[in-house]
Amino acid sequence: MARRAIVSLAAAALALAQTLGDNTAASQADVTRDGPPELLVSRQLLEAQHLSVGEVVSISADPKGDQPQPFRIAGVYEPLPDPMRLGALRHEVRLHLPDLVSLTSSADSVDAINVALPDPATAAAFAREVAPRLPGMMVRSTSAPDEAQRAATFIVLDRFHLAIAIVTVIGSSVFLLALTLMLVDERRETVGILRLIGFRRRRILLYMLAEGVVLAGTGAITGVVLAALLQGGVNRFFQWRYDTALLFVRVTPGVVARSIAMSVPLGVLASIASSWTLLRHEAISLSRR
Amino acid sequence: MSTATRSLAFAARSLLRQPGRAGVGILGIAAVGALLFDMLLLSRGLVVSFRELLDSVGFDVRILSSDSLPMGGARLANASQIARDLAALPEVAEAIPIRVIDAEAVPAVGFALMAIDGDFRAGRAGRAGRDGGYEGSEGLVINQRLADALKVKAGDTIRVRVSCVSGRAPLPPSPFPVAGVGEFPFDDGAQLTASTSWARLRSACGGEGDDADMLLVASREGHGADAAVRAIRRARPDLHPATNEEIVARMQQGSFSYFRQISAVLSTITLLFGFLLITVLLTVSVNQRLAEIAAVRALGFSRGRVAADVLWQSALLVGSGGLLAVPLGFALSLWLDRILKAMPGVPTSIHFFVFEPRALALHATLLVVTALAAAMYPIRLVAALPIAETLRNEVV
Repeated sequence: MARRAIVSLAAAALALAQTLGDNTAASQADVTRDGPPELLVSRQLLEAQHLSVGEVVSISADPKGDQPQPFRIAGVYEPLPDPMRLGALRHEVRLHLPDLVSLTSSADSVDAINVALPDPATAAAFAREVAPRLPGMMVRSTSAPDEAQRAATFIVLDRFHLAIAIVTVIGSSVFLLALTLMLVDERRETVGILRLIGFRRRRILLYMLAEGVVLAGTGAITGVVLAALLQGGVNRFFQWRYDTALLFVRVTPGVVARSIAMSVPLGVLASIASSWTLLRHEAISLSRR
Repeated sequence: MSTATRSLAFAARSLLRQPGRAGVGILGIAAVGALLFDMLLLSRGLVVSFRELLDSVGFDVRILSSDSLPMGGARLANASQIARDLAALPEVAEAIPIRVIDAEAVPAVGFALMAIDGDFRAGRAGRAGRDGGYEGSEGLVINQRLADALKVKAGDTIRVRVSCVSGRAPLPPSPFPVAGVGEFPFDDGAQLTASTSWARLRSACGGEGDDADMLLVASREGHGADAAVRAIRRARPDLHPATNEEIVARMQQGSFSYFRQISAVLSTITLLFGFLLITVLLTVSVNQRLAEIAAVRALGFSRGRVAADVLWQSALLVGSGGLLAVPLGFALSLWLDRILKAMPGVPTSIHFFVFEPRALALHATLLVVTALAAAMYPIRLVAALPIAETLRNEVV
């Protein structure tokens, strides 16, 4: 049964025929050269419209769907994950440039010409050299201002996450201090007896310090393991939620090192602070009920 | 003195006996409470702020070429005619097209040039010259940053190259008088913006192009935005009108949802954290006072009375921490808001953390629920305490 639905989508044309097939993530259908021209559809569009590779679809440049042209779906591709387009519907197709020109009845014009340089480090120099030769055209490196602005968004988000982490660490430290205070207080009598039988303050402090290191280290490692176990689930949830291949959480060695470097000293400090509140008392007052 | 008051006083004395521990507990709850409060402000902050921003412009319906977000889809062709047709509808008070293109002031200062007509120029969102110099329709109203970048003031003339079609080479420069310096509500902290009339932009584009990014519609008083949208859909089924509420809902589904979700995740974690903190504090406190509790039970205190003591202790800890959390959360939200507002493309008038009375009510409710839940286990401990056995073990 023929299906008909007008779907608005973004179309991009690629100048090289070979490129059309390069980024396909799924299977390629047998292509008959005599049939309609080929296109690639994004995975999201394929799924949303229940299309399949090899199917013939009609595409029109007119929002009302007038003057459609048939295209055969040659393959499906995963759009480049773009954090700036999080939540945006990636209903896109890729056409050969002559097909797009024919579809839009436009002259032989393009939005941009991408140039691949043998040495990407020379991009800025190349842009400077070419710009005066093409008056009225904009020549710029793909890693220039737009990319800087893109990065700026994530630098800000990174700062925000860091600020949240600082507040969480402060809250956790207070929690830890409360816990160690109570832990130490529970041993009030034991510490009093140890002091009475001759243990020096320093030795008891060292004992509590060692306990603090073990507790903080175990806590930190448990936290890292928990984060590592949860990261897959978090990524899968957000990838499903936003229909994207982006990675949202990644537990890197740097993150592990930073979290251990913060949590272990904090745990040790909390142990020392709480132990000191106990040890500064006289032995007799500690063993008294 | 009622039983409840006596119980409260007893719980307060129990906490005051160990001020260090109680103080640390309250501080811990204040820290997690502040974060919780901020997450509640963040959960709807962008939505509330964006809605206020849309409403402040004075139009309650936006018309687009598709169901995409404003400025995100294809342009509307024959915009002037559409605006005239829509303005004739009884439900519509005003309809004006808006278009934003790239422009460059000679020698090389790039800025966004907005073409817009109608009463909008009278100052609802930036057409008005702050210095009162704008009178005609041919001039530019520029924002202060652009005025500073170009070192111009009202009355000066600048030469501007416009790019009427995205990606195409800009047209040769043409002179634009500066009519005034204004403020544009959707500007971010670094944006250079100017506005001119629809006719002037068309003339600068060589007379071609009557395409609009969007049509702004003000519904007629007494009809409302929903009635205007229905009327527009009836008159022009090919258009995609949306009320401000619908636009905000679309934003919520898209780019705003990240902050809503991070707020939900962090709220859950902070609540869990607070629950653990209070449970541990109360449980250890109860364990250390088993002998005392058994003694007061032997003296005639009922199970309910000792359970109420634990519950009041939990309420006092959470109540004091929660009260402290609100000003702390406010201060923290200012800091976090400043961090997030540095994001490029975020209008200066948008806030990520916005106070609403419902956030305060929800904060209080969540803390009360946490206090009750956290007190459950220690209450069970004291209620099930065997008096004789405890006295024998703890005292003898």
